[in-house]
Amino acid sequence: MQTDLHLFAVAILLPLAGAAVAGLGGRLMGDAVAKIITLGCMAIATLCGVGALYGGWSAGFAPRAVALADWVNAGGFHATWTLRFDTLSVTMTAMVLCVSLLVHCYSLGYMSHETMPTYRFFSYLSLFTFAMLMLVSSNDLIQLFFGWEGVGLASYLLIGYWYDRPSATAAAIKAFVVNRVADLFFIVGIGLIYVLFHTVQYDQIFAAVPQVLGAYYPLFGTAFSMIEVICFLLFVGAMGKSAQLFFHTWLPDAMEGPTPVSALIHAATMVTAGVFLMARMSPLLEFAPQTRLFVIFIGATTCFFAATVGMVQPDIKRTIAYSTCSQLGYMFAAVGVGAYQASVFHLTTHAFFKALLFLGAGSVIHAVHDEQNMFRMGGLWKKLPLTYAVMWIGSLALAGVFPFAGYWSKDAILNALWASGSGMSQYAWVLGTITAFITAFYSWRLLFLVFHGAPADAHLRDAAHESPAAMTVPLVLLAIGAVVAGVALAPFYIGPKQELFWDGAIFNAPANTIMETLENVPALIALLPSIAGLAGIALAYVFYVASPALPASMARSFGPVYRFLLNKWYFDEIYTVIFVRPYAAIARALWKEGDEGAVEGLPRDLVRATATGAAEAVKLQTGSIAIYAFTMLAGLVVLLTVALCG
Amino acid sequence: MTPAIAAIGLGPYLVVSAALLVLGVFGIFLNRKNVIIILMSMELILLSANLNFVAFSSAHADLSGQIMVLFVLTIAAAEAAIGLAIVTVYFRNRGSIQVEDVTMMKG
Amino acid sequence: MSDSAVNWTLALPEIALALSGLVILVVGVLQRRGEGFFPCAMLTIAAFIGCGFLVVLSPDGVGYASTFVNDSFARFMKILALAGGLLATVVTVGYRREQGTVSDALPFETPILMLFSTLGAMIMASSANLMTLFVGLELSSLSIYILCALERDRVASSEAGLKYFVLGSLASGILLYGMSLVYGYAGTMEYGGLIAAIHAGGEIPAGLMVGIVFVVVGLCFKLSAVPFHMWTPDVYQGAPTPVTAYMAGAPKFAAFALFLRVMVGPFGMVAPRWQILIETVSMLSMVYGAFAAIPQTDIKRLMAYSSIGHMGYAMMGLASASSAGVRATLIYLAAYLVMNAGVFAGIASMRRKGREVTAIADLAGLSKTDPGMAAALAIFMFSMVGAPPLAGFFGKFMVFAAAWQAGLYVLVCVGAVSSIVGAYYYLRVVKVMYFDAPAEGLDRPAPSLLFVSGGMGLATVFFILVLGPLMTMAQQAAMALAG
Repeated sequence: MQTDLHLFAVAILLPLAGAAVAGLGGRLMGDAVAKIITLGCMAIATLCGVGALYGGWSAGFAPRAVALADWVNAGGFHATWTLRFDTLSVTMTAMVLCVSLLVHCYSLGYMSHETMPTYRFFSYLSLFTFAMLMLVSSNDLIQLFFGWEGVGLASYLLIGYWYDRPSATAAAIKAFVVNRVADLFFIVGIGLIYVLFHTVQYDQIFAAVPQVLGAYYPLFGTAFSMIEVICFLLFVGAMGKSAQLFFHTWLPDAMEGPTPVSALIHAATMVTAGVFLMARMSPLLEFAPQTRLFVIFIGATTCFFAATVGMVQPDIKRTIAYSTCSQLGYMFAAVGVGAYQASVFHLTTHAFFKALLFLGAGSVIHAVHDEQNMFRMGGLWKKLPLTYAVMWIGSLALAGVFPFAGYWSKDAILNALWASGSGMSQYAWVLGTITAFITAFYSWRLLFLVFHGAPADAHLRDAAHESPAAMTVPLVLLAIGAVVAGVALAPFYIGPKQELFWDGAIFNAPANTIMETLENVPALIALLPSIAGLAGIALAYVFYVASPALPASMARSFGPVYRFLLNKWYFDEIYTVIFVRPYAAIARALWKEGDEGAVEGLPRDLVRATATGAAEAVKLQTGSIAIYAFTMLAGLVVLLTVALCG
Repeated sequence: MTPAIAAIGLGPYLVVSAALLVLGVFGIFLNRKNVIIILMSMELILLSANLNFVAFSSAHADLSGQIMVLFVLTIAAAEAAIGLAIVTVYFRNRGSIQVEDVTMMKG
Repeated sequence: MSDSAVNWTLALPEIALALSGLVILVVGVLQRRGEGFFPCAMLTIAAFIGCGFLVVLSPDGVGYASTFVNDSFARFMKILALAGGLLATVVTVGYRREQGTVSDALPFETPILMLFSTLGAMIMASSANLMTLFVGLELSSLSIYILCALERDRVASSEAGLKYFVLGSLASGILLYGMSLVYGYAGTMEYGGLIAAIHAGGEIPAGLMVGIVFVVVGLCFKLSAVPFHMWTPDVYQGAPTPVTAYMAGAPKFAAFALFLRVMVGPFGMVAPRWQILIETVSMLSMVYGAFAAIPQTDIKRLMAYSSIGHMGYAMMGLASASSAGVRATLIYLAAYLVMNAGVFAGIASMRRKGREVTAIADLAGLSKTDPGMAAALAIFMFSMVGAPPLAGFFGKFMVFAAAWQAGLYVLVCVGAVSSIVGAYYYLRVVKVMYFDAPAEGLDRPAPSLLFVSGGMGLATVFFILVLGPLMTMAQQAAMALAG
């Protein structure tokens, strides 16, 4: 018991040590030492994390906590630095550490051709890992928020890592600002939680939920259920972090960062923080049915939207980014119907195969010397056999083909959507199935465009070479995970052993039996996702191998639709008009009229007034005795008047 | 109250001295001629105060007022002497005792 | 002890000083032509010091048929006046040494006249009767009229003397007329009798009020409070620098002593009536002193406007009409004495090739040519601004606090604003000294001037050390005045 907790604490704190040492001393120590230190800390931390997971499984996952230090003690408000040891946090910790370790290792090879020193990169990666671990192991909302903001910060630092590129810095700012807007709702939610429950500690909140079910929040004349409002606000915060619809604009731009960053942050970990939050808050969410309907709606619509846009993207990383966005939509849809376990399961399997896809894409980009436009690649499978193989495995897992990882998790979600029965979940199921079809389509579109067919640039193809071992070993390991993770973990996450496994970390209301009913859907429905997937593969083959001219001609005939999809449904343009331009106008007005006009004008005018006053005052002194005497007399008369009549 | 005051009351004395005061004060800043006029006006002012003292001394039958007058006369004489000496020195330097010319320093 | 014996012991400092003055005058006459100055000056300094001891040792009491009083307040003001006179005399010595053998070098009468003027100031501080007040005032003023015109070959000096004489006589006349009206109302000239008469009177007749206003006006002239200040810039600029140093010190203390004694004593009952007058005058002085000083280019003229402002601040304590206010004013005057003497010692040392220069621009780059003097002047400037922990800060703080406690909020605000505006010209001097390119260097100052400016600089910086004892003494003085 105690050893688990110790291992857990070590696992979480070591990345911080690595980040601090490498970041602060990297200039003195040099890149090589920094890499060794960060990688070493990550390796040990991963071992400890897996050890903690194993220990927890054997000893039971009853929630325990490792108290590190007190943080805030102000009146009735208590926040502490505590590591919560339960299923959700330990499994997330192990997953984050594994992926992060592999990404660290991969970065050794990927960042080897940099001109700038790279100790900063590794330090940021470890810092991000620490923040994410703080987030998942938090025992109260404030530490979670600390981790939340910490991963946002690390994301900003890493997206804008190549800070001399204006597009990278703009993307980093966009990511941070969009997240900030969503975080505003999040923090208001936390505030309302404190107002309602008078505490921010999880255990106390969850215990007090039954007592506050009737609380109402008056807004615009209507009385909303307090729990609904809180859950809605928390979900909006999650929407920002997980790039759901309306808050998604930052995710494609985030591809400006190096590919390992995309793999770690924008596939496996940071973007999943929103899903984690929803799962963690399941005791609250279960009592907010209206919010959950909204969650289903957003999740399903995001899922569909992202897939349609991903269909036509020319950039290899952006395709995978939209794929991430789409899969996150699935996870939220599952949360909405109450199948949190399925959602977290998909989160875990998705981490493996999406990281695999990103790192594989990175391998391709590395091979063709930083070319990212798929239409300029082609015929690379002979040159990059390992990469080709693992990309196939990753795509199969993504498409949900039996027995790869995605099959188990994605099918569970779709079955849950069908079994849930409400109108919104039916809508979600339809969109989800269509999306499964589109997912397979664009995944194989990517494979065929990059690895098959005649290369657009033969020179590029000839110069390509397979990646070094530092990059290929993580690919292989992730591929193994993409293959077996589903089969291995399904019994624990959503199968017969789930009660024992979750042990109360996720709460299902008594009326919520979705995890059982999803097993009992009609066979046809259960098979439909697989059929859709295979159909998508077939269509991609037709479009990109059998008749390569077909996509171009389709794009021409459906011109407006094609452009609509290519321009991401024009979200960026709409946001620019509605938000960015008015804000810039207000800022300019405040600067010109406000700051330069009033704030600086006031002292300037005072100075002028004083100088004028002084010049006038001196003129009184004329030098003539008569005037002096007269002034004295006048003063005398005035004082007399004041004295006599005052 | 001495017979002198009892006869016509305090009023006329005060009026006369007030008139002297006003004459003296106006004489200082209304004259354009020369600085000696100023000296004379200054003497007038002191004399008006003296008249007041004497009148009040009579009215209150208190001798200290008239003692004060003796002091003031002495001081006024000293003041006049000093004033004339300063005017002489000034004239020697400046060559004029026009009031308007006493404006070398201003601002 | 018989009455006459009491009288002698009570007035011993004044009598001794008067006799010494006469003796020194004879000594001066008996010297050879042109050589009389330094012996007279040294003797005067000795007389001041001796008289200082006598003042400290003098007993409390009332004498000379209730025309003369000695108490803590009188002692405090007399020490201030003596200190002012002493420092001015030392400055005169230094100045005279620099003058050498020019034709209009200061004559031997200069320190003697300063002695007589100080004597007049001391008598004013001890006055218990309107007569004594007037005699002391005139003694002091007449001496200064002469002092201003002593550089006989300089037109500016003569003009200064003339202007001061004319306007000063006018003020004396107005004061005397006011005194006559007050006498007319009360029937007596003793302060004690005035207090009784006003107390018994109840309703204040217009005649008394007019008399009080006239007296106030006369005193305000001496203090160079606005709008009776117009003589100050011209006279300060024209008079010889040591005389300016003296004028900015002792006569002001004497006038304040008079003011405090008269206003708190006999007219204390009528305080609500004249408080507004003092407030108005104080505000105008502070504001005018601050604004009009800004365009000035001559440092003596600048110091004139500066002293107008300072007197405005000191009057804030008077306007409070409380013992805390009196105490604050006394401390302000003590701080002012120190700063003032130091600055003028510095100004007196400004010579280039033997010729005196008085423009602010002549101080340019002094920090490089004479760092010590520049540092001392900078200290004095900062002290005048009111920067802690220098002397000026404590003075300003106390008067502001006293005025605030008395409920004169507008006055305090005006004071604060004018302090800020006034900081400009003080700091401009510092800026010229430290940041402007050096003008042609100034001559090395005479040792006595260095002594005064250095000593006063130290006193300004370490004022906080003497603040405690000073406050106690000022408190005693204030209580003596009230009681």
